[in-house]
Amino acid sequence: MKVLKGYQKPIIEVHNFSFSYEEVDEQRLFDGLDFKLNQNEVTLLMGPSGSGKSSLALCLNGLYPEAVEGTSSGDIFFLGENIQEYEKGELTQEIGIVFQDPESQFCMITVEDELAFTLENRKIPASDIRGRIESVLRAVGMKGFNQHKIHEFSGGQKQKIALAAVLLLEPKLLILDEPTANLDPVSSLEFIGLVEGIQREQQISVLIIEHQAEEWLRLIDRILVMGSDGLLLASNVPERLFIEERQLLEREGIFLPGKYSNRPAFRERWHWDVQSDEKVLSARGLSFSRGKQDVLKKVNMDIRGGEFVAVAGENGAGKSTLLQLLAGLLEPGEGEICMFDRPLRKWQENDLRKRMGFVFQNPEHQFITDTVYEELTFGMKLNGYAEEEMKNTAEGLMEQFYLTEHRHSNPFALSGGQKRRLSVATVLDETPDVLLFDEPTFGQDAATTVELMDYVMGLKAKGKAIIFVTHDMNILDTADRVDVLEQGKVAFSGPPDSLWQERKLLSEARLLLPARLRQKQREGEIYDLIH
Amino acid sequence: MTKQWKLKEIVLMSILGVVFGVIYLAFFLVGEGIRNILAPLGLAPFGYEVIYGVWFIVAIMAAYILRKPGVAFTAEVIAGVVEILLGSAAGPGLLLSAAIQGAGAELVFALTGWKDYRLRVLVLSGISTAVVSFAWHLYSAGMIALAPWLIISTLIVRIISAALISGVLGKWLSDQLAKTGVLRGYALGKDLQRKRKYESA
Amino acid sequence: MISSINPSIKLVAVLIPGILLGLTYGVFTPLLYFIFMLMVTFTMTNIPILRWLKLFSPFIILALGFAWTTMLYANQTFSGGEEIFSLWAFEVTAGSFQTGVSVGLRSLCFGALSLMFILTTDSTKLMLSFMQQFKLPPKITYGILAGYRFLPVFQHELQILRQAHRVRGFSRARGIKGRLNQFRRYAIPLLANGIRKAERVSIAMESKGFTGDTDRTHYHRMTVGKRDWLFFALMVGVLIAVFALSYYLGYLQIFGKQF
Repeated sequence: MKVLKGYQKPIIEVHNFSFSYEEVDEQRLFDGLDFKLNQNEVTLLMGPSGSGKSSLALCLNGLYPEAVEGTSSGDIFFLGENIQEYEKGELTQEIGIVFQDPESQFCMITVEDELAFTLENRKIPASDIRGRIESVLRAVGMKGFNQHKIHEFSGGQKQKIALAAVLLLEPKLLILDEPTANLDPVSSLEFIGLVEGIQREQQISVLIIEHQAEEWLRLIDRILVMGSDGLLLASNVPERLFIEERQLLEREGIFLPGKYSNRPAFRERWHWDVQSDEKVLSARGLSFSRGKQDVLKKVNMDIRGGEFVAVAGENGAGKSTLLQLLAGLLEPGEGEICMFDRPLRKWQENDLRKRMGFVFQNPEHQFITDTVYEELTFGMKLNGYAEEEMKNTAEGLMEQFYLTEHRHSNPFALSGGQKRRLSVATVLDETPDVLLFDEPTFGQDAATTVELMDYVMGLKAKGKAIIFVTHDMNILDTADRVDVLEQGKVAFSGPPDSLWQERKLLSEARLLLPARLRQKQREGEIYDLIH
Repeated sequence: MTKQWKLKEIVLMSILGVVFGVIYLAFFLVGEGIRNILAPLGLAPFGYEVIYGVWFIVAIMAAYILRKPGVAFTAEVIAGVVEILLGSAAGPGLLLSAAIQGAGAELVFALTGWKDYRLRVLVLSGISTAVVSFAWHLYSAGMIALAPWLIISTLIVRIISAALISGVLGKWLSDQLAKTGVLRGYALGKDLQRKRKYESA
Repeated sequence: MISSINPSIKLVAVLIPGILLGLTYGVFTPLLYFIFMLMVTFTMTNIPILRWLKLFSPFIILALGFAWTTMLYANQTFSGGEEIFSLWAFEVTAGSFQTGVSVGLRSLCFGALSLMFILTTDSTKLMLSFMQQFKLPPKITYGILAGYRFLPVFQHELQILRQAHRVRGFSRARGIKGRLNQFRRYAIPLLANGIRKAERVSIAMESKGFTGDTDRTHYHRMTVGKRDWLFFALMVGVLIAVFALSYYLGYLQIFGKQF
């Protein structure tokens, strides 16, 4: 049972607080914030991308504004004491933060060394360190992984180690900054469950920063909403917020959890059937091995024009390898891939690239020029198109993808959503017949995901063949066909509705049901409990 | 000296070392190719001299981006340490040559009082690094035993390589990088922002 | 075993012979030390011979290159003596031949020293030892380790970049301008991402209470004991002995002067 201590001193009190990245106090990221976090409460902070939620977290633990040479005004109190009274490094031990990117939170190679780093910072005697590491690893379900190398872990395991390191601080406030944004759905749920258990056991105050409240909802006592203009818009308990402030939330582009939303499920939004009979890509008996390890074993696959195929499976099941083989970026060990019944190796590289588009997980990997305009015309220039034609095509693409005002911007300097749009636009410069996407929605916020799917479905409607590697169950749900890979073999191939029946397979391949079905399931459980 | 440096600046120097370590290996083949052509004539070492400037680029880029005393030297030493950690076969000797090269690069920045970071200073710094490192190699690689014309022409190749690769290319890369916006929190990025503001005002 | 020797002591023990061997231009001195290094490598480490040979072979090519260059182009101080053979327009004299062999053997010694160090030293322990023995500031120690950790990330990213460039429709760069652009196309994404990671990881480290303060506890205490000094004495002692023996036998040559 949670012991609420609302009558005690708040753990954090923020008074008229403003922050700016600039040396002079202008272009404030957030402005005149006033709020409290109560002890032992779990608070969710929501807001659109770029509203400064992450920066706020770092202001609370005292690293900002100093670390970025920014400026701030107003006051923050931690347990009644102004945070400016704290020595450097003192406050950071009271407030622990788990960050979004699992790749860049560690400085040591092995789990043990990383955890020891935190304890050494706290000047814990060397003789106590091993015991503390053992017990925190048990708490996060990573017992026995002491000597493992962190970079060999999956995203989910990395975030558990990040949480363990932060727990070693024995913080009074735990801040989680979109900790599941880069995780697959099962790992996300695991992580959320872990936080729930720890919160209940240690009676710790928690601040969660997230775009999507859905899975966290059962832990949350209160929600704060920050707007894109850096103002605090609402603060309320979840039930009332989602009902009373609904219009406000939708205006700010914040996604309501399923049961409060009247937005159509992904599937209803985009499920059309426009397949042709023409086979665009087909793979027969595809095998591939890396060293002694067999990555793919005898995989068969056909994709028709206007068909949307999603490839799913656990990390390391061979999804990305399959996509790279289909794109002709890797040579299969055995088997053959044909595009329009002609083996890939008989295609001229140039023609192949014209008729096939490949969108990478990280948009930046695709950028090779200095401006958005050059990026869009690069391929056409290479193929000797006329200036006028290039200009027209580029203009059209920029308009379609809302990039016109950024035509002279450096691709790397765009926002996350703009980069994603540009990366898709660059493969549409010439008219490809098949488009391959490698986890294009990974680490993107919900608005960008919806936007991307709108484009993709538009392309499908034009008869393009589309192949997606994805972890997102809501996207799988909209596909014409799902192929599930398990240890290099196709374990399932068929429409998503049949996949959702295969409970055993779903759990083996670490897949979940899509949100619409899980909600039904939850409601069903409650129904079962009552009756 | 390290008191006024931020942790992120030190990590940046280390990452510069890692990235160029990775890139160097990818472009190593270029050097190998030239070497193999020259080998029968007994001029194999020339092949490496042509791309020698890559070794100094970290010192000059770090100094140009961070603009603080001691950066060129420290960045080069850190890059040397990183190469050792990466398992470079050149081993501990790298630490010594990195320190010597770093000192060569730092010397020119020190002469300007760490205030001037124009192209000519970067090129001079590259040249100074080449000369100082060459002096060390005369001893350590036994080059002093070679005919004077060969010593001098090797030195000239190294100077040109350092001036072009570490000075000119180093500045160009850093400027390109600043345009991507990732250097906002460092001296070079701030300088660029100030210039833009001034231009638009 | 050498892998358990304190990394800082090992580093110095390897550096000293590396520097001092640069003085000698005779054949006997580096040859003797090279034989000693082979003995140390194969009796005091666990490196399999085949693996060692594979890693050592580039040094052999390098050494041959240096030796060949020196033989053909040695200057007057070093090229005395009779002509041994001539090739095209080159004359190789006894003096230049000897100098060439010496320079080649010297690089073999460097190679053997480096490999012994690299193959028996753990990166993390090396850095921790720098911090504890050489008083390297923690900020630099952990800053370097944090960057070094990203090596696999960058290697993977380089691979993806290759594929992405291919997908965008261009395979091989031609000419100097093409190469330069190709260099930039690899370097900019890697660096841009690297700098963002540098910022994130340093914020994460500071959020875990790291201030760069030298007053911290050490989970792995790196110590210097009798065995470490013994190893040091062995490496440097044998070097001195080799120099002394060469001098005694009249083989010692320093900068072309016979002693």
